Amino acid sequence: MFNQFGATAETLSKASAVVLRIGTDAHLYDDPEDVSIAPLLDSKFDSEKCEALKRVLALIAQGFDVSNFFPQVVKNVASQSLEVKKLVYLYLLHYAEKRPNEALLSINYFQKDLGDPNPLVRAWALRTMAGIRLHIIAPLVLAAVGKCARDPAVYVRKCAANALPKLHDLQLEEHAPAIEELVGILLNDHSPGVVGAAAAAFSSVCPNNFELIRRNYRKLCEILPDVEEWGQIVLIGILLRYAVARHGLVRESLMLSPHSLGNGFCKKDGLGKELVMDKGDGDMNGSLDSDLVGMVIKCYVEGPDDYLSRSSCHDTVSSAFGRKDSTSIADNDGVKILLQCTSPLLWSNNSAVVLAAAGVHWIMGPKEDVKKIVKPLLFLLRSSSSSKYVVLCNILVFAKAVPSLFAPHFEYFYISSSDAYQVKALKLEILSLVATSSSISSIFREFEDYIGDPDRQFAADTVAAIGVCAKRLPNIPTSSLDGLLALIGQESFAGNIESMDGEAAVLVQAVMSVQTIIEQDPLSHEKVIIQLFRSLDSIKVPAARSTIIWMVGVYSSLGHIIPKMMTTVIKYLAWSFKSEASDTKLQILNTTAKVLTSAKGEDFLTLKRIVSYVLELGECDLNYDVRDRTRFLRKLLSDKLASHERGGDDAEPQENFTAYVAEHVFGRKLGPFSPKPSHHRFYLPGSLSHIVLHAAPGYEPLPKPCSFVFEEHDQLSDLRRQRDVATDSDGSRGSSGTIDDYGSESATDSVPSSDSDESTPSNEARDTPYPLIQISDFTESSTNQGGGSVSNSADLEELRSRKALDMWLNEQPSTSTENSSVSTRNQSSYAKISIGDIGSRVKPKTYTLLDPANGNGLKVDYAFLSEVSTVSMLHVCVEIVFENSSSEPILEVNLEEEETNKASDSVDQALVEKGSISQDNVPTLVPMEEINRLDPGERAKGIIQVRFHHHLLPLKLALRYNGKKVPVKLRPDIGYFVKPFSMSVEAFKDTESRLPGMFEYTRRCTFTGHVGDESTEAKDRFLWICESIGLKMLSNSNLFLVSVEMPVANNLEDATGLCLRFGSKILSSEIPLLISVTVEGRCSEPLNLTIKINCEETVFGLNLLNRVANFLADP
Amino acid sequence: MLQCIFLLSDSGEVMLEKQLTGHRVDRSICAWFWDQTLSQGDSFKSLPVIASPTHYLFQIVREGITFLACSQVEMPPLMAIEFLCRVADVLSDYLGGLNEDLVKDNFVIVYELLDEMIDNGFPLTTEPNILREMIAPPNIVSKMLSVVTGNTSNVNDTLPSGTSSCVPWRPTDPKYSSNEVYVDLVEEMDATVNRDGELVKCEIYGEVQANCQLSGFPDLTLSFANPSIIEDVRFHPCVRFRPWESHQVLSFVPPDGQFKLLSYRVKNLKSTPLYVKPQITSDAGTCRVSILVGIRSDPGKSIESITLSFQLPNCVSSADLSSNHGTITILSNKTCSWTIGRIPKDKTPCLSGTLVLESGLDRLHVFPTTKLGFKIMGIALSGLRIEKLDLKTIPPRLYKGFRAQTRAGEFEVRL
Repeated sequence: MFNQFGATAETLSKASAVVLRIGTDAHLYDDPEDVSIAPLLDSKFDSEKCEALKRVLALIAQGFDVSNFFPQVVKNVASQSLEVKKLVYLYLLHYAEKRPNEALLSINYFQKDLGDPNPLVRAWALRTMAGIRLHIIAPLVLAAVGKCARDPAVYVRKCAANALPKLHDLQLEEHAPAIEELVGILLNDHSPGVVGAAAAAFSSVCPNNFELIRRNYRKLCEILPDVEEWGQIVLIGILLRYAVARHGLVRESLMLSPHSLGNGFCKKDGLGKELVMDKGDGDMNGSLDSDLVGMVIKCYVEGPDDYLSRSSCHDTVSSAFGRKDSTSIADNDGVKILLQCTSPLLWSNNSAVVLAAAGVHWIMGPKEDVKKIVKPLLFLLRSSSSSKYVVLCNILVFAKAVPSLFAPHFEYFYISSSDAYQVKALKLEILSLVATSSSISSIFREFEDYIGDPDRQFAADTVAAIGVCAKRLPNIPTSSLDGLLALIGQESFAGNIESMDGEAAVLVQAVMSVQTIIEQDPLSHEKVIIQLFRSLDSIKVPAARSTIIWMVGVYSSLGHIIPKMMTTVIKYLAWSFKSEASDTKLQILNTTAKVLTSAKGEDFLTLKRIVSYVLELGECDLNYDVRDRTRFLRKLLSDKLASHERGGDDAEPQENFTAYVAEHVFGRKLGPFSPKPSHHRFYLPGSLSHIVLHAAPGYEPLPKPCSFVFEEHDQLSDLRRQRDVATDSDGSRGSSGTIDDYGSESATDSVPSSDSDESTPSNEARDTPYPLIQISDFTESSTNQGGGSVSNSADLEELRSRKALDMWLNEQPSTSTENSSVSTRNQSSYAKISIGDIGSRVKPKTYTLLDPANGNGLKVDYAFLSEVSTVSMLHVCVEIVFENSSSEPILEVNLEEEETNKASDSVDQALVEKGSISQDNVPTLVPMEEINRLDPGERAKGIIQVRFHHHLLPLKLALRYNGKKVPVKLRPDIGYFVKPFSMSVEAFKDTESRLPGMFEYTRRCTFTGHVGDESTEAKDRFLWICESIGLKMLSNSNLFLVSVEMPVANNLEDATGLCLRFGSKILSSEIPLLISVTVEGRCSEPLNLTIKINCEETVFGLNLLNRVANFLADP
Repeated sequence: MLQCIFLLSDSGEVMLEKQLTGHRVDRSICAWFWDQTLSQGDSFKSLPVIASPTHYLFQIVREGITFLACSQVEMPPLMAIEFLCRVADVLSDYLGGLNEDLVKDNFVIVYELLDEMIDNGFPLTTEPNILREMIAPPNIVSKMLSVVTGNTSNVNDTLPSGTSSCVPWRPTDPKYSSNEVYVDLVEEMDATVNRDGELVKCEIYGEVQANCQLSGFPDLTLSFANPSIIEDVRFHPCVRFRPWESHQVLSFVPPDGQFKLLSYRVKNLKSTPLYVKPQITSDAGTCRVSILVGIRSDPGKSIESITLSFQLPNCVSSADLSSNHGTITILSNKTCSWTIGRIPKDKTPCLSGTLVLESGLDRLHVFPTTKLGFKIMGIALSGLRIEKLDLKTIPPRLYKGFRAQTRAGEFEVRL
């Protein structure tokens, strides 16, 4: 019936699966590419987009690389549907790092979403923006996090806290203080949910910045029970570290107490009694655990690698943590409150929280209270089998250090057949640790059951555990020994069957355990030894045999009966030598030698003959180890073997060196076997390192006790905190105040500037005195002069910024820097500037389109022109220079669009900045006239107008000449995607003030273009600097120089405060873009420039900023 | 913190990957993992924390699906494991079970859930009730809708109100026309009977599961008649610690809907409702087995769906087992299960038969352990009784319901 039921169940589930799959996304997962995804992504309907995105996601899930959809997916970020958004975010997070440039396109939408009234949208935007991890947008993300950290919605603040580690991951040193400050703000949040996330951020951003914790310590402790579970885990760890660093270890705690316990006080509490009782039970346990506990705490504080490398394992621990490093709970509120607030967490539903809280009490709790971690820890064993393993690993260390903690609860470690093997092994180890003389009998009864377990490896472990228990508790019932011997008998029988390899292990362990028990008191176990010797014949497992044979050697002279049977045993061994495994052979050789050295009288002669026989056999053995051993022994025993002439008299051997050695090697009695510490690498409870038993990357031991010193008293710290808060708020008020002040300043200043057009304070040079010289631009002056007549406007279009520069640069030498009044007049002299002068000064950079080597002697260069295209605002004018460097004339040279592009470019077209109207109607390339013939050495110029699809991606063109077609790539220069925008200084500043915060980005670079030129000596240095910066800017991008400002109080050497302003508009969208370059440093040395761009189009601005910084830094 | 989560099917296929941080983890780690699983077998599969050559892996296995999380840095391993368990719970709750097909069919939901549950490797929202508000579980209605209309969104466009309040597990102001609270005591009996027939261990692991459908902001107090029998407790985050410490009373503002309020343990029970009397005698390569199952102490309610299962040792070559009640099935992996159902009034169910051992073996030297399963409705075997459930402000039309049931947990009888 069961079968039938199973069958029906199966068909039922199959049938229901078919039904269930209707309406799910099953078909998408099974066959994500059965329709073309790309057109769906471009669909107008959210539902189709959604389906396409799901298909893409299915491909990701199956491990395909679908980053080629990036551009289409990214533009869907603008969708209003939250589901589409979510799916796009999932995709973005997966691929952003691979496609950083395209990912940047999404930034504007994130910025927009960050201002959305729906907190969910804000939170998602922040999470994704921080999650795409691009260095370039880090300042934007930081600003966004700063904003979201003050968001009214808890969820958004929580996401802000989560975003901090992402920022920190980018390892931007310049932002580190800002990030830490945000951590501090969020730690101080009143909502527990935020505090939890902030704690996580703290531990990954600045785990040792205890100052942040100190400010809020008490509050953090109190809020701890309300923090959500995952935050609790981290916060507990942080608070523990802080408490150790601030207050030191606790004198009453287990960690420091065993030493005082050893000194004989502190016995009145319950645990102390148990410990003492335990000492009575197992003689060496008491002392063992105090040493071990000392070692544990040393490992916790120093890290096991450091500690063990100092090698003096058993040095006095108490000396290391003196009174000055420790504290007492009674008079330390900080520790008390930590313990109080963590104790209810022992009831948490989350195992990790329980374990973390238990760790605090284990390290810091007074030892009479450590008991309370026991039951919660044991209760954790009832959770999932995976966590069971981890919990047991931790309990194992606790039990090792203080067995009495878990001794009363030994039943919890009874093994259930459903436990995994590792869990069983751990439980066995713990059981053998916590067994006491009162519980041992029930534990052994339990062990008996385990020996019959079908898992033979486990059975073998059980047998080994019996041995361990026997060693710990020597007065164990002899029944266990009988049981073991019975087992040996039974196993040796079962071991006959080849197939059961598990049995061999059980048998070996059984023999070893028996040996361990005998070792405690060999004399009283003489009969057992004899029984073992007798069983040699039936035991076939080599390892077990060699153990027994070893015992023959060790106990050969024990008691009365054994020496008598020695010759028989040795005879048997010699007889069986040939058929043994090589390990056993080695053991037989050793044993016979041992027996021989201790033999006396008649036996000696018989034995000698047997030994010589064995040695002869050994010399012909196939295994070279055995042969080597034989030769070695023959040499050592040469004296004994040869002694038949001397009749074994005892006076001589002392002189004989080899005999002496032999005596010492073999005749030595077995000394007491001291349990040497096995593995003693302890890591903090609950840590990963503790489970894998090596320090995982990022593992940090506890801080040094009292390493965080804070001067003020605790009572004062509250006051101080309040004061901190007060100054904080003062600070924020102050900063906003300065902005207001600044506004009013400029307002007052604008009064004189309105008539004389002088000294407007620069934003950057706020601290420096007002600039004296105000170089105003020609536009303004022209409007001043001519009142902006219509006839002028035609001129205005032609008048480029470079003219303004040249006007100014040419004019300036006549005006002296000291004389401010002259500078106001310079506007009238612009007309003098000749165009030819510009041409010589501003040289647009040329790039190579085609190398003569690749083009059969045709060399093609191109340069971006500053003219604005006549076709559309998306086009850029490019001058192409053809030169024939070959000896043949080249015919029919032309550049044209690559036809194949057209179809696939629809993808890229999507990338073109928004705001472009009717872009599809505009051709990509407005070609030049064809050059019919280019003679050798001849040069020809042509001008084309190009529409790049994206300001970073190259455009593929085809160059035709001599009837051939060569594909070439025209690389865009972002500097020419803007056009000059003439504006007044006021207009500039006004626009600038409307583009604050996220629309403003700065970068710094070093400028060296002005040094190293001798001709500068003659000129004014300031002018030279202005000129060289201005020239560099203008020859690399299409800008308009709005103004140049110079501070007046400078000495001649200091160029700090010099500021150049450029105005421009983005070609495609007419969005204004402002650039200010501020200079810092001395005239004769490389200067530090700060470039600031204000623009609504964040991505474009950032890219241009990079470009500007690059070419300015370029010597 | 966690860097990546993989979901592997029971054949080792990677069904899903979710990268969590910028430090991407390559899929090849799964291949490594699966190779190790194949070569090292079960002992590897049950190892929750693995140090691979490149990453630390955390794994849990649920219904054949392996949840694998990777990290390269120190982090609390229990946090990772607990989180994976939470993910598994939430998924099986959403998908109505957990298997390869369900995960694949609903991979979008799985992705959306994972994205909401963990951010940058740190758990974000794990409270099931809140997740439900953010991402609608698939149900018949939405499936049908999606068939008819082509698309429905399962992503809710508003933030659950609970996230902003001081009780994040509860939406701010749910409205119900009839207010209902159901409290269930669900107990599992863990017991071990050793080969001598002694009861080595017998304890109850219980949960108080509640289903609250209450309007507004209710403040509940639940008290037990005999709280002293409870040995250990673990609480849902909503339970206030103070009242429990002082008078062992549960005071809480409940989440909306189904949740686990409390889990507890009651130790040292003296008897089990059923007895299992096995008898094995082996002689000359065959083994006679008989197992009797009967009622030891009548709990007063009927004991249902009694099953008994055990794994035949490897050295058994064939088995011939029959019973006077119920059915016996022996699967190819030598798992033998006996479905008894209810104990009949007139006879004691008895399984008997012979096992033939492999040649060369005279008698059985390893003994299987049987697992007993049963279910008793309407009673909590621990004896824990709910005294009363109070609401601070009593809403109109309040209905309170209490139920109890006990089933076998790890109930083992060694043969």
